[in-house]
Amino acid sequence: MKYKILFYIIAGLLFVSPVFVLLLQSITTPWRFQTAQEMNVQLKSFAVLWSDPNLWTATIGSIVIGAFVLLFNFLIGITAGKALALYSFKGRTLMEALLLAPLLIPVLAVAMGLHLLMIRIGLADTWIGVTLVHLVPTVPYSIKIFHHAYSQLGKPMIEQAQILGASERKQFLTVELPLLKNAIRSVTFLTIVISLSQYAITAIIGGGSVVTLPMVFFPFLDTANPSIMAAFSVWFAAPPLLMYILIEGLLSLLPYSQTPWRNRA
Amino acid sequence: MSKAIEVNNISKAFGSNVILDQLNFQLNPGDKLSIVGPSGSGKTTLLRILAGLDHPSSGTIKLGEKDVTHLDARTRKVGLVFQQPLLFPHMTVEENIDYGARLTGTFSREKTSDLLTAINLTETRTQFPSELSGGQQQRVALARALATEPEILLLDEPFSSLDPGMRQELRYWVRDLLDERGITSIFVTHDREEAMLMGDTIGVFYNGGFQQLASAETILQSPANPFVVQFFDNHLLIDQDHYVPLNKISFSSQATGARVMKAVLLQTSVANGERVAHVYVEELDKRLSLRLPFPHDGGSLDIFIPANHIYSFDSSRGAGRYE
Repeated sequence: MKYKILFYIIAGLLFVSPVFVLLLQSITTPWRFQTAQEMNVQLKSFAVLWSDPNLWTATIGSIVIGAFVLLFNFLIGITAGKALALYSFKGRTLMEALLLAPLLIPVLAVAMGLHLLMIRIGLADTWIGVTLVHLVPTVPYSIKIFHHAYSQLGKPMIEQAQILGASERKQFLTVELPLLKNAIRSVTFLTIVISLSQYAITAIIGGGSVVTLPMVFFPFLDTANPSIMAAFSVWFAAPPLLMYILIEGLLSLLPYSQTPWRNRA
Repeated sequence: MSKAIEVNNISKAFGSNVILDQLNFQLNPGDKLSIVGPSGSGKTTLLRILAGLDHPSSGTIKLGEKDVTHLDARTRKVGLVFQQPLLFPHMTVEENIDYGARLTGTFSREKTSDLLTAINLTETRTQFPSELSGGQQQRVALARALATEPEILLLDEPFSSLDPGMRQELRYWVRDLLDERGITSIFVTHDREEAMLMGDTIGVFYNGGFQQLASAETILQSPANPFVVQFFDNHLLIDQDHYVPLNKISFSSQATGARVMKAVLLQTSVANGERVAHVYVEELDKRLSLRLPFPHDGGSLDIFIPANHIYSFDSSRGAGRYE
């Protein structure tokens, strides 16, 4: 109980109060402590934000790119993570090092080389090209997370499902995916946030034709108006949150999910 | 009548390391076989091959009339209970039991209720595995395996993760359940006592094969070779050809022609209401535990081995031929 209270205090101080201050700032005029200024409610900051003609294009672009980056991360992360955790094969350590290598090289350096490749294969200045380049800073983390999740799940648990007669598809849907939920949640947040934050590589590969939120956001940095910055930050936080809610909804559809309508004593 | 399982010349090698060497055995429906041997001797590999999780290098396995050697674990009608319960943590007790039954098309509500009653866990049916004790979890794992109506049930040291009290209790309980339901089973363990409790036939497994495949009584009366003698500790191995039952060795001379050996008393303890002496016999370089009829403070003792109870591995009982 004591630790629970401590947890709520720390979480309140470090996570809830900054978000509250951010929300408050986005709908009030700039205010400083002991300046005798009043805190006035305003929605001008959001009006400025919505006046940007590229805002909706950038928001939808970011969400679509983020969704595809997430999908590819799931596909690559789950298959590679499972192979690394459960199968023994020659060169596994080397393979693991190679899969994590993109994290050791600056993304910009990788993007330069990939830009040339994208131009050659006709994917430069396209959203597919941007989606692919966003995999560079995200996939290694996903592989690491799913690798760890499958190691925790363990081969015997999967063999138990086999012994009981589960087909590979059934085993994946009824045992693996439900037990990978926490990893899926982590990958969702991490991937969307990383993808959403990419400015330089999106600009290089997208060539200005692919507009994402950071590209709209960056010019606002000059304004030095905390209310507008707060409004944009709130807007910026919405896509990951939306995606998280969507994924959470999909996860609740999995077999044996713990939902309120499940039979409990 | 066809056999429940027929294993013919099964071999398994990892590189040059031979784990199973031309293994043969067969069980009739309802038979219970315990496989006992030292850790690392390949017992679990054998069980995994029988379950279809590993494949043999050569040989065949038949379940009933059907050759299942190349069948996947998913399609063999074999139940396997592992050392750990491995219950699916996101499913309730009932869902765990139903899982395999639904997949194999053998599900019925009556059967689930019957199994829950059999494992005395009806009240926990809607609880999750994390809310159960280790012993309860292992019972659910057993019920889950039985729910698929396997032709043979394999148990791989299922009690090894339990505390001694729970372990002892579950041994009797599982054995009764298997007997009541006439289930053909193979029980793997490294514990000799457990092997005798869980199987009518005991396979002493070592070096890629059975050193002896017989009832506990036969193993006690006529151990097949020095390994069996040393593994079971029911006899004293005098040399590679001769042994003497421990219960025939005494600390006082009761017959003429007994062989006398010097022993050092290491420690005394009490077991089953009797004083037990733990002695070291220098001549044979062996430690023994023998019933001690009188208190002794320590130091040297003489042990008497009656010549007429010294047997050789190739002789029948009652014909001690030790010179």
